[in-house]
Amino acid sequence: MTRRAPFAAVFGAVLIALLFGCSAVSKTPSVPPKHPEELAAGRVDCLECHENVSTGALKPYATVRHSRVFIDAHGTYARQGQNLCSSCHAPAFCQTCHAGKEELKPNVKMGDRPDRMAPHRGDYIATHRIDGRIDPGSCFRCHGNKNDAVCRQCHK
Amino acid sequence: MGSSGNARLPAIVAISLLLPLLLVGTARAADVSLSSRTYLRFYERDAGGEKNRFIPAYEYLSGDATNLGGKPIAFHFYGWGRVDLAEESGSGKTAGEVGSAYLEYLHPQGNAQMKLGRFFLTEGAAMETLDGGFVKVTTPIGLGISAFGGAPVEYSILDNTKGGDSLYGGRIFFARSGFVELGASYLKEEGPFQGEDRELYGGDLWLRVAGPVELTGQAVYNRSVREMASQRYAVRIVPGATFDISAGYESYTYKGLFQTTLNPAFVFPSADNNDKVRTFFGIVDWAFVPGWTLEVAAKNIRHDKADPGDANRGEVGLRYTYNGKKDVAGLSAGIVSADQEKNEYQEYRGFATYSPSKFRLALDALTQQYKRAIDGKKNAYQVVASAGYRLLDALQVSGDLTYTQSPNFQKDYAGLIRASLELGTSTGGKK
Repeated sequence: MTRRAPFAAVFGAVLIALLFGCSAVSKTPSVPPKHPEELAAGRVDCLECHENVSTGALKPYATVRHSRVFIDAHGTYARQGQNLCSSCHAPAFCQTCHAGKEELKPNVKMGDRPDRMAPHRGDYIATHRIDGRIDPGSCFRCHGNKNDAVCRQCHK
Repeated sequence: MGSSGNARLPAIVAISLLLPLLLVGTARAADVSLSSRTYLRFYERDAGGEKNRFIPAYEYLSGDATNLGGKPIAFHFYGWGRVDLAEESGSGKTAGEVGSAYLEYLHPQGNAQMKLGRFFLTEGAAMETLDGGFVKVTTPIGLGISAFGGAPVEYSILDNTKGGDSLYGGRIFFARSGFVELGASYLKEEGPFQGEDRELYGGDLWLRVAGPVELTGQAVYNRSVREMASQRYAVRIVPGATFDISAGYESYTYKGLFQTTLNPAFVFPSADNNDKVRTFFGIVDWAFVPGWTLEVAAKNIRHDKADPGDANRGEVGLRYTYNGKKDVAGLSAGIVSADQEKNEYQEYRGFATYSPSKFRLALDALTQQYKRAIDGKKNAYQVVASAGYRLLDALQVSGDLTYTQSPNFQKDYAGLIRASLELGTSTGGKK
């Protein structure tokens, strides 16, 4: 496969979309790009206002209720689409943790928000030796090919 | 990032920044928001008997311009930079990164969308930062397709291995609102990953079986090494706004998952390429009384290899939300038991926030107790105290003081000053 292949794939998909035109697009209203109401600080519960199915994720709002269960599995849902996420979260929100060359731990940046779930609290340099042995896959997601400036100090 | 990615970055940023300007002339309206986070850290480190002082200043800037030209077109930007005001704190006295800079078109119907520039993407088997394009369309019968391609944004610390040169793929899916979403995806990254490209086949499922019961599944097969990379299956019951329970199974193989790593921590001899991990897990989130939430989680982690061996992790936590939901206090405990003593520890944490008027106070305390000493110490402690004040509706300043005692730090004090500025031309929620 040549280096042009990825671009050909994208443009091919765009072409198909244009050929089919709007008639090929679902008539379901898209999720708004921005939540129309102000959101309170802290963990927001969608179910306080929404009862039905999200037009963005095509899933019940109960599914995306930000409980501990959802937060642990948020990647599973995000891999089926980011539209609903980006209605309430700025694109930069994901990259608070899923960054490329990050130097500050999320909990350092959010020291004033201990209520937020943030990885690597405490002196994680010590504890990561254990977590890294028993479940290295959890490290790999963020440090496999990025976010490794700190790793470099010891892992050479 | 690969060298090709480095070469493309200025062009990507320039094009992404200039394209929105083309729409300015016809702009009937545009909603613009800007977020700035400035951090000034203070800490000292001993190195060979010499005490070094570090004062790195960080700026995190994100901007979003939506409704460009009165059309559903948006431009998003996110990046950060560091300047050291004292000793060098990282690789060089300055550092920085453009995390994202892209144009986005969101069609008013069917969640059809396009992205062009640098963006973070999660789609099927892909969880990437990409310099390139993405398009996604759903048809009236629920069938949909997405495609992406470009240059991956990666960073390598693995000797003689740079990141991939190009990455492309896509996903086909079927979604029926409120009932099911089923997807199949493909990803190929051309690069020198242990002598092979990266080629993944993925499958994903969300299925509402009945009422509040749903199943999720996600599996990725690594064709390059002919091995399952990862799998995760879960059943979840969400009967309402106060109770959420999930249990499931996940697994991954080192060979399949770590093949494309650019970090020596994930290759031999740091990691045994023949190991496999299987995990059974369960999580409960129960708001048993208004304001009070109980969280319980457990994991049974099994390795094929005796070293590191198996482990169990259990957690229980209690959260109390008060002061009009502006504040939270919590207690939690976590215990890891394992085949090997060196993998066992306990963790206890307590935190509370208090936000009277324009003030914001927070306290967070954490201790970890290791079964076997790490560098001669069995305990670690950290306390973070934070105080802030909202000077303006858009401007908040705060300061943190952190005390740490651990295997790496005898008695460490670190300070941080934070300024958060939020500006916007429209109302509505963005967090």
